[in-house]
Amino acid sequence: MKNIILVLILITGAASAQTGAPVPPPPVSEARQACTKAMNEDPEFAKNIVATADKSIDQRTIDAHNAAAAQIAENERHVVYAYAAMWILAALFVGFLWYRQQMLKAELAAVRRELDAAAKDSK
Amino acid sequence: MKRLAVPVLAALSAITLAVAIHYIFIRAPLQYSLTGEGRLNGSSLFFNQKIFYFHVAQAFMLFAAVGVAGVTSALFLWKRDPKWDDIAAASVDVAVLFGAVVLVTGSIWAKAAWDVWWNWEPRLTMSLLLWLILVGYSLVRKFAGPSADRVAAGMAIFGMVGVPFIYKMVGEDSHPPSGAQGVVLNLGTEYKLAFLLSVIAFLLWFLTLTILRVQGTRAEREARELRERGLDLGVLQ
Repeated sequence: MKNIILVLILITGAASAQTGAPVPPPPVSEARQACTKAMNEDPEFAKNIVATADKSIDQRTIDAHNAAAAQIAENERHVVYAYAAMWILAALFVGFLWYRQQMLKAELAAVRRELDAAAKDSK
Repeated sequence: MKRLAVPVLAALSAITLAVAIHYIFIRAPLQYSLTGEGRLNGSSLFFNQKIFYFHVAQAFMLFAAVGVAGVTSALFLWKRDPKWDDIAAASVDVAVLFGAVVLVTGSIWAKAAWDVWWNWEPRLTMSLLLWLILVGYSLVRKFAGPSADRVAAGMAIFGMVGVPFIYKMVGEDSHPPSGAQGVVLNLGTEYKLAFLLSVIAFLLWFLTLTILRVQGTRAEREARELRERGLDLGVLQ
């Protein structure tokens, strides 16, 4: 039994030692090797490859920005609220002016009535 | 000519506002900016920036109305001519409207830009205090008795003195800076035209309302004086 346990410990220890070891890099594919070689040999080809990659990255950035802008641009709620508030307050003020005008008309009508009554009394 | 002033100004204001709205929503592009690394700047407002055009334009009109009220109140206290008091009272009424619009639209913009309705920063607090002074002016005129016009005139001057402090506070808080480094003077051409049209439209609207209100306050004073004279002569009861 002791021998079996000893063998098990040794096997487990060996396995854990294996997982801790650095993983060797994957072998470079033939296509990549060919591409690297072609880029090193032909600077124009290398330039084109880099330009294509940059263009792709730029387009992704632009797409991300456009998506964010579209999302925020669609949020029209606050602008609608603000415009509505502006028009409602302006309408209330115009209503207030109209109310004051009506009060003034009533005041003038009352003064006129009292003056007419006073004129009749004096006769 | 005087009779035509209000309808002509109102029509011009409506036309200019219609053109301004076209420029704001159709011609002016969405506002956003990128950082040096090409990332989207966090201060980009996109469609919400459309609030700027009338929020700031009406803030200018608020300052103009408070300025007119303060100057005419000082003239009233100096000359004792009630015509200055009529203009001051009318200007304060109009300033209350513009102040309410500025506070409400500013609060909505704060929610859109900073995700808070109100944050008690100095400029917002000072603007609220100025508006409360203006409301106080109207209440004093209504309820303070015979010397109400003089007390109210003092309040209007006090309110006018506060305006430069509010303007100075721009840039000291969450608001963008003012003056030469400010947003307004450094707007792009496509934004500037929309903003200028908005300012002109609200300036015409401000003049319309002020003239209309001056006519009202003058007529109210004349009716009040007529009644007082009638009471003094014993003609009215």
